Amino acid sequence: MESQALQELVRRIFGDEKTRAQFTSNPDSVLARFTLTEQEKRAVLSTHARLGLVTSDSPQLEAAIEPTIFWHAPIP
Amino acid sequence: MLQERQAKLLREEIEALLAPLSDFAGLYDLVKEPLIRARRGLAIDAAHDRLWPLLPLMVCEAISGNYEHALPAAAAIQLLKGAAEVFDDIEDADSSDSLLTRYGLAAATNTATTLLVLAEKAIARLKGRGVADSTIVRVVDEVNSYYATACAGQYLDLSLAAGITISEDTYLRVAAMKSASQVECACCIGALLATTEQQFISLFSTFGRNLGMASQVANDIQGITGGSDIMNRRITLPVIYALDQTDGQARSELEAAFRRQCEAAPDPAQIRDLLFGVGAIHYAMIKTEFYKQRARDVLSEAEAAGASVERLKLFLE
Repeated sequence: MESQALQELVRRIFGDEKTRAQFTSNPDSVLARFTLTEQEKRAVLSTHARLGLVTSDSPQLEAAIEPTIFWHAPIP
Repeated sequence: MLQERQAKLLREEIEALLAPLSDFAGLYDLVKEPLIRARRGLAIDAAHDRLWPLLPLMVCEAISGNYEHALPAAAAIQLLKGAAEVFDDIEDADSSDSLLTRYGLAAATNTATTLLVLAEKAIARLKGRGVADSTIVRVVDEVNSYYATACAGQYLDLSLAAGITISEDTYLRVAAMKSASQVECACCIGALLATTEQQFISLFSTFGRNLGMASQVANDIQGITGGSDIMNRRITLPVIYALDQTDGQARSELEAAFRRQCEAAPDPAQIRDLLFGVGAIHYAMIKTEFYKQRARDVLSEAEAAGASVERLKLFLE
């Protein structure tokens, strides 16, 4: 089942300057306003700690996803 | 190093299966081609890329401490993956470097069929490794069940391809059936060859399913950053999120870019920027991490039950 709360969280962070600023300075305070599962919260915080807000391609993003694409052979 | 020994033994197992084809050099080369690509059983890759073909062996070893008797099953998974990729290229016809493009439909179909038959032969070789007949029958049944699910997922994917409005739930269901089921199969088979305890078989199957989902969504991200999924108008998770969360001009641009009937080629840089801007790539990254968190939790449970999961954590870095 898709998580409406997770979608809404990301929509607010990327669509509302105030929420974005709050999330950047204190992610937990923003997460508390959304009904997320524990695993979703950990996923949000872990992504933020590793990459911040993902707003453009970067070597960090590639480094984060590359090892996970183990199942798929590189696109010729 | 243990991984290098496992990779060497797996290569030897696959080579032994291909040996009867060596009299037919052309076919031998064609069949070998999907197996020597990066992240495949005959590839000589970087350390991390070498890991995945070993997944069934690593699961088997995590539970029982042994893995050599599982080598034919790991080879079968590689052959099945090779067959699936060639069939996928035939169905999608969107790669400029596929067997289909270079050798034609007949040769590509024959290659994929040969890989399938060799996978069946690989499983039969479990007998020579001392695996009980009842376990071999169960391995055959599980492999066929998982790959029947993958075929059903591919059917759903093909039937959805013409539309632009796909819900996230539908997309994730197709990804679970078509892609994650194959990783789940690799882990399930590794566990089946290690134990009869259903608890471990279920835990490692769940680990594989979540690992497969994380891999699929990460692949979706790379399809956007690299531009290939934009050029091929392939609707994946970031696009579904963006279509759901945008309106006005941004949504119109996305619809035009991903509608297959639209004649104008999409601009990858423009669409990529749009997807980053609305948080679609960030959202997909969180989903990737979400599935990895789930896989980590399952590994912790297996560890508490007595499995040695340290090496499997390498897949979750």
